Amino acid sequence: MSSIELAAWSFPILLGLIFIRVPIGLAMALCGVVGAYFIYGTPAPLLNQLKHVGYTTFANYNLSVVPLFLLMGQFAALGGLSRSLFKAAEAWVGHWRGGVAMAAVGACAGFGAICGSSLATAATMGQVALPELRRAGYSGALSTACLAAGGTLGILIPPSVVLVIYAILTEQNIAKLFLAAFIPGILAAVGYIIVISVYVRLKPDSAGHMEPAPMAERWRALASTWPVIVIFLAVVGGIYSGVFTPTEGAAVGAFGTGLVAWLSGGLNLKTLRESIYGTAVATGMIFMIVLGAGLYNTFLALSQLPQELAQWVIGMGLSPWVVLAIILVLYLLLGCVMDSLSMILLTIPIFFPMIMGLDFGLPPDEKAIWFGILVLIVVEVGLITPPVGMNLFVINSLARDVPIAHTYRGVTPFVLSDLVRTAILAAFPAITLFALRITS
Amino acid sequence: MTVWVFRLAKWSALVGGLVLVALTLMSVASITGRALIGLGLGPVPGDFELVEIGTGVAVFLFLPWTYLRGGHATVDLLYDRMPAAARKAVSMACDLLMLALWVVLTWKLWDGMLEKREYLETSFILQMPVWWGYAASLVGALIGCLAYLTKTLINLGLAQYPQGWPVQHAGGH
Amino acid sequence: QQVTLRVHHFLPAQGSIPKTAIEPWAKKVEADSGGRIKVQVFPAMQLGGTPAQLFDQAKDGVVDVSWTVLGYTPGRFPRMEVFEIPFIAPSHDRSAEVMSKAAWDFANKFAAEEFKDVKLLAVHTHGPGLLHTKQPVTGLESLRGMKIRGGTRIVNNMLVKLGATPVGMPVPQVTEALSKGVLDGTTIPWEVGPSLRVHEIVKNHTTFGGDRALYTMAFAFSMNKAKYESLPPDLKKVIDANSGAALSAAFGKAMDEADKIGRDIALKAGNKITQLDVAETQRWLRTASSVEDDWVKEVKGKGIDGAALLREARAMIKQHDTK
Ligand code: NA
Ligand code: NA
Repeated sequence: MSSIELAAWSFPILLGLIFIRVPIGLAMALCGVVGAYFIYGTPAPLLNQLKHVGYTTFANYNLSVVPLFLLMGQFAALGGLSRSLFKAAEAWVGHWRGGVAMAAVGACAGFGAICGSSLATAATMGQVALPELRRAGYSGALSTACLAAGGTLGILIPPSVVLVIYAILTEQNIAKLFLAAFIPGILAAVGYIIVISVYVRLKPDSAGHMEPAPMAERWRALASTWPVIVIFLAVVGGIYSGVFTPTEGAAVGAFGTGLVAWLSGGLNLKTLRESIYGTAVATGMIFMIVLGAGLYNTFLALSQLPQELAQWVIGMGLSPWVVLAIILVLYLLLGCVMDSLSMILLTIPIFFPMIMGLDFGLPPDEKAIWFGILVLIVVEVGLITPPVGMNLFVINSLARDVPIAHTYRGVTPFVLSDLVRTAILAAFPAITLFALRITS
Repeated sequence: MTVWVFRLAKWSALVGGLVLVALTLMSVASITGRALIGLGLGPVPGDFELVEIGTGVAVFLFLPWTYLRGGHATVDLLYDRMPAAARKAVSMACDLLMLALWVVLTWKLWDGMLEKREYLETSFILQMPVWWGYAASLVGALIGCLAYLTKTLINLGLAQYPQGWPVQHAGGH
Repeated sequence: QQVTLRVHHFLPAQGSIPKTAIEPWAKKVEADSGGRIKVQVFPAMQLGGTPAQLFDQAKDGVVDVSWTVLGYTPGRFPRMEVFEIPFIAPSHDRSAEVMSKAAWDFANKFAAEEFKDVKLLAVHTHGPGLLHTKQPVTGLESLRGMKIRGGTRIVNNMLVKLGATPVGMPVPQVTEALSKGVLDGTTIPWEVGPSLRVHEIVKNHTTFGGDRALYTMAFAFSMNKAKYESLPPDLKKVIDANSGAALSAAFGKAMDEADKIGRDIALKAGNKITQLDVAETQRWLRTASSVEDDWVKEVKGKGIDGAALLREARAMIKQHDTK
């Protein structure tokens, strides 16, 4: 078997392993190690590679941003920042039709601005907002769906772990990617709010009614969100203006949210331990995938498959837009069964060179950033597409009385709004690149 | 017996978390020092290297607990529809493979450490021996071997889950 | 039979050395072997790992050939550090070629021990290193408190003596670090500037008067020993014919050529190039001179006679410079 055939076979084998519930990082590591063994023909080079691969993968300055952003999300929840965001949004729009659900989406967007992870955003806001939604008489389907969709804002709105990984893989500027993600992230939140307002008009019994809050209370609630605003400006502003690196930004964010949590009494020895365990498990999960993906990617590169594949696609003479559409659809399909980070790690080394070799009438920098944002959106859609959508599972596990089928049904219109947004952003790169162009 | 391995893994995660908190404080101190360069202060020397080494050591310390806690990303698509025997087989194979991978990785990490020591390689700024980072990582790697071994023994029916340690397999991931 | 050589390095494929030295080498080896050797070049760390691992990757057979900066593994090549001592390199436009010839001779005569685990194909240096900064550097005082990247231990030691705050990192990270404000400037030769787009981020470049260059760094192009030994005699001859003093000089020459291109691009971008006069350069030389003394003391601890090595290296540089 040629090494290219070997690599081609490794795809179905890898997917097969993943589908029978082999942990994704382990499956990738195994495929990578076994594949590289066949290409080398002897175990020695492989064993020598393993001497340094573990330590140098984990002791990596660029990746150190990941655990720090995760820690920041844990502290933000402890400090009640999630609650104050939701309360403020509810005070202003809770009395509208579907208002509490809209407030939940708004609070997710706000929390997304200080948290880099979708799962953390979904889990945190789910804990805060789900009881309120149910108390206000919202249906199980709408309550869980709006929070699962809102959770994706954790990554769509910068800072974002997925964008960090994309930037590392493609050697792009993290600050520029964050800046470009901002408008699409806001559009996502607006899209979800439109979905809710249509949803409650079509199904009036899925939402309850709430009395408007007095004006004074609204302002008080809004004023109490100031720590979130300060931290967001410090972290994202500091990273973008070049005062510090993303890793340092994450450290500043973890420090700031930790300070707020401590001052508010939410951070003590016991909760610190719990946030460390949460950070440890999420970090361990991500780095195991990074390790496996590294080994698998080395094997793919050795086999020369990505290079040949890219050549082949370019040689087919398809229109660049058709290639882009095929890639995005592929992501949507993969997203039904895979999680976002492993998808990025698995596919970017193959697709990114392909896209960079095609002409979309954009300079290389802009093309790389625009494609990154599109990939970000389609992999995030994967978090809420049945059957495997991590956000759906997280929220559903919080709402024990709601069958998963209700959540699946409720989330469908949100997925549709995501697809419409993806098509618009793909067709008009200027929307994504707008913020970048006016600031440079 | 197994309860000690679970405790060890949990402590290990805790120590890793404290390393992370220390890195946070050190980074903030470094940024502050850098901002106040005019007042004669400066960044923490070798701050980048410290973050790198610290993250590496912390991740090795996190991994055992991630595994025992069922925290690794998985896809349950077919699993739920597989017969019980097949599920058991997959779960056992995963434990064994993870153990095998980690034993090899730990053994090689040891070799790598010896090599870095022999070659006297150091970091750029602090000129700290590189092998120290490898050695510190070995602690987490060894605890990992213990954790995966324990999990394998439990799966083979040769050991018991410790009482009062509800290890849930997180749904969907 | 057919042999595949996998070559791994840390720069993008369009970088000057990958394009004007490694690629031609690969083509020549393929042609000279009558197509029996196939060379696959993997740029930008495609096969995994970090730039600091490249030497070991060739040593361990993870790849067959690698190209890297020796100083990325501080402490590993103490003898070769002699080529990084401040103001040891000439500053003219054939600097890298002269230094590379000397480095090849030196590596074989005095530092063979450091390369005993690989089949050394070439050793070379880059051209005169200089400062690229956001704020202009017009004298020693301007450097005070500036965060400057240095590529090796010795260069970072030099930056400390000159009053800067050194930040050590491999060159591929420089662009992002400069654009993020982690750095106020960097030391690199002109050569690598365009592929890192340094001239777009910083607008000031500082060169030095007189006949000496601020610093340089040494590189090795190494092959896995077992892989070389496994070749049939005629293919070994192909490798032999495409390695050694001539290849080292060719890499150096490619560096010199690329320096001119890099300098032109910076000029075309409207950047400001400050040349310090001879008197000011002498101040820098004196301030940095303790780097040399420290180095001699330090390698003494490893049982190396640094003073003698410095003497020999200077003589070799002079010999190749006057030829
Ligand atoms: Na975010
Ligand atoms: Na999905």
